Amino acid sequence: MTKELIKGNEAVVKAAILAGCRSFYGYPITPASEITEAAARYFPLAGGTFLQAESEIASINMVYGAAAAGERTMTASSGPGISLMQEGISYLAGSELPCVIVDITRGGPGLGNIAPEQSDYHQVVKGGGHGNYRTIVLAPNSVQEMCDLTFLAFDLADKYRNPAIVMTDGFIGQMMEPVEFPTTSVEAPARPWAVLGNAETRNNLITSIYMSPDELEAHQRHLEAKYARANRGEELFEAYRTDDAEVITIGYGIVSRILKTAVDQAREMGIKAGLFRPITLWPFPDRQIDIIADWTKSFMVVELSNGQMVDDVRLAVNGRRPVNFYSRGGGNVPTVDELLGQLIKVSEDSYVRENISESEELFWGV
Amino acid sequence: MSHSGFNDSAEKDHMSEIAHTTDGANGEGQTAVKLTRKDFQTDQEVRWCPGCGDYSILAQVQKVMPELGIPRENIVFISGIGCSSRFPYYMNTYGFHTIHGRAPAFATGVKLANPKLQVWVITGDGDALSIGGNHFIHALRRNIDLKIILFNNRIYGLTKGQYSPTSELGKKNKSAPMGTIDYPINPLSMAFAAEATFVARSMDIDPKHLSTMIERLAHHKGSGFLEVYQNCNIFNDGTFKSFNEREVRDDRMIYLENGKPLLFGKNKDKGIHIDKVKPEIVAIGENGVTIDDILVHDENALEPNLSYILGRMQFPEYPVPMGVFRAVHKPTYEQMLHGQVSKSISISGAGDIEKLINAGETWEIN
Ligand SMILES: Cc1ncc(C[n+]2csc(CCOP(=O)(O)OP(=O)(O)O)c2C)c(N)n1
Ligand code: SF4
Ligand SMILES: [Mg+2]
Repeated sequence: MTKELIKGNEAVVKAAILAGCRSFYGYPITPASEITEAAARYFPLAGGTFLQAESEIASINMVYGAAAAGERTMTASSGPGISLMQEGISYLAGSELPCVIVDITRGGPGLGNIAPEQSDYHQVVKGGGHGNYRTIVLAPNSVQEMCDLTFLAFDLADKYRNPAIVMTDGFIGQMMEPVEFPTTSVEAPARPWAVLGNAETRNNLITSIYMSPDELEAHQRHLEAKYARANRGEELFEAYRTDDAEVITIGYGIVSRILKTAVDQAREMGIKAGLFRPITLWPFPDRQIDIIADWTKSFMVVELSNGQMVDDVRLAVNGRRPVNFYSRGGGNVPTVDELLGQLIKVSEDSYVRENISESEELFWGV
Repeated sequence: MSHSGFNDSAEKDHMSEIAHTTDGANGEGQTAVKLTRKDFQTDQEVRWCPGCGDYSILAQVQKVMPELGIPRENIVFISGIGCSSRFPYYMNTYGFHTIHGRAPAFATGVKLANPKLQVWVITGDGDALSIGGNHFIHALRRNIDLKIILFNNRIYGLTKGQYSPTSELGKKNKSAPMGTIDYPINPLSMAFAAEATFVARSMDIDPKHLSTMIERLAHHKGSGFLEVYQNCNIFNDGTFKSFNEREVRDDRMIYLENGKPLLFGKNKDKGIHIDKVKPEIVAIGENGVTIDDILVHDENALEPNLSYILGRMQFPEYPVPMGVFRAVHKPTYEQMLHGQVSKSISISGAGDIEKLINAGETWEIN
């Protein structure tokens, strides 16, 4: 078992190449630029294409073209660039084309800053583009998972013929950790639906336009059925010390790692705490949350955003238990002590609304 | 960011001297305002790397501004994103730090909302020519009175050294480890193609020339474009060195002067001769060449063809031209817009908005 000490942003590129991805189209942006730079180094070595596009709009459309031509392809960016890609993502999903998009989230809205946040949840998980579509979203919390989930993203993208997004915060993108890469590379699966420039695929049609209402509705139903299948089988999560937990914390990405330590420390103090970490953000592991809601007394959701994933938790819990929410933003990351303090409070009165201004408190009311 | 960088006390000192004017942002009809270079400086810490060419451009703009006699509140600097785009923070005028590539569009909105403002756009080679390429073209094409300065360092500075649309073919950098295979674009060619009515070029290390060009740009009415060769000493040091260093400049650069023959060299004994469309370097006194064979520069020519040819001259084949390539007058967009508004009012009379909107075929439902 050989491990390599590597940055999250670089691990993505190596994993993509091992997964049979042969083209990368991207535009630099902090804190995702290392992905573009690593792609510039590795893709030519693997006989693949690297192109620095003139913008993220161009990147996603190059990906659109490469995917239609039957190639495993990808791009990477951060919030502002992902915003620009939304039109293309909608067309890719509408045309049922697989591709992988990596979002290393930074602070927003607008220019915000380049520090880590989790505030792209809405635009990535709920779909920032127009129309009825879904994207598969994977949320790594370590450099090893940057490798593993990128690999998986390519498979899921192909399985469902749909864009898959690997979304993480700037921390996981920038940090270095030992990673064990797969020792064998795979080839992209055959794509009989693509337009491959041969006689067999001449009649294939890749499109998202259906002018007649009936045809478009039928297309939407077909997509829905596909999403329903993914929604009932692809959910991934980590449940840590949740079996007897009375307070279950929920967080993804960097937050889940801090929460894990806080949970251990709370346990030492005799508080029955646990951690539930969604690994797929779509499909969201709502059924599992529903199940643990049977025995836990309350939930505590922590996000580096002012409350985006918490909506999905609340839907899953469906009012059966209090869902407390704690947030940091602007690139601030809570310390273990800070989260432990919150955990203690939640375990005592099982409801806190920390860091929420009065108007937001109204909004987040029970 | 949008800010009024006015420094309170300085503002008060000058209020008495600033007579309020509303017409013309270019100096006409303005009561003289006695400001100094210092009045255009801000208390913001300048965050460019020591030795960066941007400092020189800032200094020259701050030197020219007081000479224009325009009150600071009638001036606005608008930028996109990049090192160059930090410029508005350092100007004690109104300023907007907007979206990567979008400054020309933003500036269009500002200028049309408030035509009395003198509107400057500060942009970089990536900002203007890659992600913002289309906005750049269309702002120039419309002949809106915008003063666009492009800091061309042939690199993405802010994101730490990836190639830009002006990077030389084959240049090695972070996103092109084996050298770029993207043919560079010539910003001047683009400006000509977009029918800019003022096109000029200067460089950071010739402050005298630079300030003259800034002044010319300031006085032009219509879409003006100034390219400034700017050294990024951190990520692309010396990119213009081969021709613009003091010791070689005389022989490798040529300063355009309106109505004068295109001469260069220490003794001004070399010149540009054009036969048909290809320029040629000739030596006066050799092979019967006289001053009459030298092309006379005409920046006011309505057809930009000759200027376009000059704009494409590159070292080492040719001396690199600096100066005003084109300065022609056409009605500006805002003048024509205003013309149409006045015309409709003169035809139908100044009216009542509610009456106008309700003047169509309306009916009442009882
Ligand atoms: C939508 C979007 N994509 C990418 C970026 C990252 N970015 C900021 S500035 C820049 C390029 C800057 O290069 P240039 O315009 O040449 O300016 P310089 O820094 O060289 O002055 C990039 C890629 C961004 N801010 N927004
Ligand atoms: S990176 Fe380059 S362009 Fe940016 S401030 Fe530093 S020297 Fe100037
Ligand atoms: Mg640049």
